[in-house]
Amino acid sequence: MASTLEQYINHTVSIITADGRNFIGTLKGFDQTINIILDESHERVFSTTSGIEQIVLGLHIIRGDNIAVIGQIDETIDSRLDFANIRGEPLGPVVH
Amino acid sequence: MLPLSLLKAAQSHPMLVELKNGETYNGHLVSCDSWMNINLRDVICTSKDGDRFWRMPECYIRGSTIKYLRIPDEVIDMVKEDALAKVRNRTEMNKGRAGGGGQGNVQNQNQRNRGGNRNNSNNRNMQGSASASGGVRQFSQNNRSAMQQNKLGK
Repeated sequence: MASTLEQYINHTVSIITADGRNFIGTLKGFDQTINIILDESHERVFSTTSGIEQIVLGLHIIRGDNIAVIGQIDETIDSRLDFANIRGEPLGPVVH
Repeated sequence: MLPLSLLKAAQSHPMLVELKNGETYNGHLVSCDSWMNINLRDVICTSKDGDRFWRMPECYIRGSTIKYLRIPDEVIDMVKEDALAKVRNRTEMNKGRAGGGGQGNVQNQNQRNRGGNRNNSNNRNMQGSASASGGVRQFSQNNRSAMQQNKLGK
């Protein structure tokens, strides 16, 4: 169990943002306001009618204000997922 | 690596900035500060729904309104070079401090001593502001010794 983000550095993480999007990528850095550097990132777009769409994005700086959840991804489990056949409601934005 | 160091390394590179209100700004980064306020040039602004566009020669964006920035992949390698250069600079300065051999080092120490003899409080200020990067510090020392020599000349 990680108590700081330091232990996620250079690992694949999933970030859920305040607007309900899901970014996957390699955590390259962070600062005290949880601004994040995400390398080789892609976005996963969930839909109830078709499979998960993965959009390649590349290098990102995500501002800490906009981050809701950061989680480490188990790459072996993740690589076994069949995204074309996973359906799901897209997340809504964070409600204040 | 700090996100703001990466942003600084991305100066003069093209980038996409999405704001919290959903608008996106495409342009070349001119400058940024520690609040992530940024200055873009040759900008195309796209509305939230993506069907309206505005061209503008430059714009300034308050950091707190930013959702994320998308940066060219190669920029991350340039930060590493920056960091390495800084470490190299620092170790070289430490060698100078440990002192002893080398004409360059002797000269370096002389500069330091002369600076110390001058105005003590002023000197401290200069060192404080310059300590952010080895390069700047070196510059300020050279500058200081140049000023000294001017004084001596008179």
